[in-house]
Amino acid sequence: MIPLSWYLALSAVLFTIGAAGVIIKRNAISMFMCIELMLNAVNLTFVAFSSHFNDVTGQLFVFIVMAVAASEAAVGLGIIIAIFRNRESLDVDEASILKL
Amino acid sequence: MNLSLAFQLMAQPDVNFALILPEVIVSIAGVLVMMVDAFSRRADQRWATGGLSLAGLLGAAGACLWLWSGGAGERVTAFNGMVVLDRLRLSFTLVFIIVSALTVLISMIWVERERLPAGEFHSLLLFATAGMMLMASGGDLVIVFLGLEVLSIATYVMAGFRRTDTRSNESSLKYFILGSFSSAFLLYGIALVYGGTAVNTPGGISAGTTNISEIAARLDDGMYPPLIFAGAAMMLVGFGFKIATAPFHVWTPDVYEGAPTPVTAFMAAGPKAAGFAAFMRVFLFAFPFAVAATGTATSAQVHAAWLGALSVIAILTMTVGNVVALVQRNVKRMLAYSSIAHAGYALVGFVAAGATGDATQQSDAVAAVVFYLLAYALMNLGAFAVVTMIARGGDRRTEIEDYYGIGFRAPVLSFALSIFLLSLLGVPLTAGFMGKVVVFREALSQGFASGNQLLVALVVIGVLNTAVSVYYYLGLIVAMFFRERTTEWSAPRVPASISVTLALTVLGVFYLGIFPGRVIDAFRSVQTTAVTRLK
Amino acid sequence: MFELNAYLPILLMFVVAIVFAVGNVALSQVVGQRKQTRTKLMPYECGKDPVGSARERFSVKFYLIAMIFILFDIELIFLMPWAVVFRTLVTNGLGTLVYVEMMLFVALLLVGYVYVLKKGLFNWSESARREAEAEGRVLAEMDSRRQAQRAPVTRAA
Repeated sequence: MIPLSWYLALSAVLFTIGAAGVIIKRNAISMFMCIELMLNAVNLTFVAFSSHFNDVTGQLFVFIVMAVAASEAAVGLGIIIAIFRNRESLDVDEASILKL
Repeated sequence: MNLSLAFQLMAQPDVNFALILPEVIVSIAGVLVMMVDAFSRRADQRWATGGLSLAGLLGAAGACLWLWSGGAGERVTAFNGMVVLDRLRLSFTLVFIIVSALTVLISMIWVERERLPAGEFHSLLLFATAGMMLMASGGDLVIVFLGLEVLSIATYVMAGFRRTDTRSNESSLKYFILGSFSSAFLLYGIALVYGGTAVNTPGGISAGTTNISEIAARLDDGMYPPLIFAGAAMMLVGFGFKIATAPFHVWTPDVYEGAPTPVTAFMAAGPKAAGFAAFMRVFLFAFPFAVAATGTATSAQVHAAWLGALSVIAILTMTVGNVVALVQRNVKRMLAYSSIAHAGYALVGFVAAGATGDATQQSDAVAAVVFYLLAYALMNLGAFAVVTMIARGGDRRTEIEDYYGIGFRAPVLSFALSIFLLSLLGVPLTAGFMGKVVVFREALSQGFASGNQLLVALVVIGVLNTAVSVYYYLGLIVAMFFRERTTEWSAPRVPASISVTLALTVLGVFYLGIFPGRVIDAFRSVQTTAVTRLK
Repeated sequence: MFELNAYLPILLMFVVAIVFAVGNVALSQVVGQRKQTRTKLMPYECGKDPVGSARERFSVKFYLIAMIFILFDIELIFLMPWAVVFRTLVTNGLGTLVYVEMMLFVALLLVGYVYVLKKGLFNWSESARREAEAEGRVLAEMDSRRQAQRAPVTRAA
């Protein structure tokens, strides 16, 4: 058996990579992929706990997260397509009519 | 897998649809609006879907009041603890319904002017409302998360509703990226708390829980206290993003400026209140004030940690919101920063609610926060209704220059906007003033009673910030009434739906400002006999 | 505790896979002879001469269909566990409730499907269809004209 802490460490690393990616990446699709990575890191945590404690709650949570992630993906791609139609670029640095 | 346990639980599935009636009604109304949208021509949709949405919201309000009259405010749960019925939920639900109904009214003229599909907009609005209601009623972190996502996904689309406008696109993209970023944080927090609350009982290891009251019961026995700390911190960040508190507020001005004005009005009032509802539900009831625990117990430490962090966040939020609002030249951006500042004021009440272990005091403080958010929702929606009218087609005229000298040429709009701005500032006799009074009073009374200097400091900073905010609120009023306009301008015709909105919000602002007692008493869980402690 | 031994076969499999793959490529580099002809240097496309650039842009409709597919596809994760435990639930006397609830869920999905259908998402291209129909009409007309021309001939014969 691989100890629980290894799974938790792996998911923490994945989550951090995802979070760093959202901050560093400048392409909307890449940022979106990083967010999916974060969500899947969370799923890994849930599944690890769930299997470690022999409890289904965590796995049910994963189902819900997956469904939510899919609907977020659909909406996100829709938004990205709308942007692409209007400006032919996905670089978020160019999306700067609204100053920060 | 422990399936047998799951089946035992399922054997009494505690189904009670009456308890989720408001949510059910709003969802069904949303589906009906979708169908009307699909099966009717676009030209005659507006009134059908708008009317249907208002009817659905009215029905939900009726169901909410029916639930309200059913109990004296004690907590009832259903669906195995997934859904909770208490005053916190019901009062927030009423706020959401009011916000959505007013948004429908504001949007009537806008969808026609911009030639947008009304049915889509109204069904998204109803689904967002159902999400907000779920957030307030969740007794389990699953429901809170699901409600949050239902709300967020609908709002992402609404923010980008003017598809051909790049500003609206950008606003939608930014909201989407940062919104799902924060959802991931919240979710990671939930996962860590789920793991951290596993308990080592004599009968073997019992798995963690996501039920809010269960979490509170297990805090001190949890097998992995550090996970609970990390989880609470992650959730704090996640909710902090959602209600736009200070270190996590950077998305707010961009998103609020770029989104269509009626959507901005909705976002500043509804999702913010929903964020507060879930935030308070989770932190007040999952990590509560630990009465009996010693200082080293996990529950006491977690409580002290989040309360301290939240106090700092409240100070930052108030200050950043007000100071940055001073230099804004765009009215929508200014109101966005003002909404950040108002979240800060409401957080003071939240901290007060968290600082006490007494149920009555806590429910008083919660009632004060709900009252504040209701007051803010009314004046904010009213102000944005005026901004919608003045912005004209494509939301182009939102700079302060566009408001120069309109005072006496469009008296209805400018006087209404002045009332809302004075209320946002907190001038006596308005809802904004009363909201600040009740929130700060709760914080002060608890600060003095428990000797907690931090609460007193929060109130002092809140009052100082109010003084700062005079400059920009009055600045806009001065621009409207005392500046000369050099360009041509003719007053927009005020349509009936906007007139109704303005009338309702102005009435609401004055009602809450002059007779706040009844509303606050109704929001309290423990009914005090018609005593208005304010008078 | 953590037993590394249990994972030895997996490690072995990785090693074998890597050695096999790298070894084969290396071997062909070392042993094989190299003769570069024009035909051999051409991009390989199923035996056909390549046509146009491979980096063509797809119609946005593909993405829309893909998005809708994801949405309907992912609902399966709720149906699947439901179907697995349904029999047990029936024996526990929860059959009706659970069945009705899942049918409600499916009905909601159907509402979504009807919505996208009515919104015309599956009309790939209204204009393309109209063109095809027009073309079909022209062809049919030509057909009938040809038959009309042939008809007198056959009668004469």
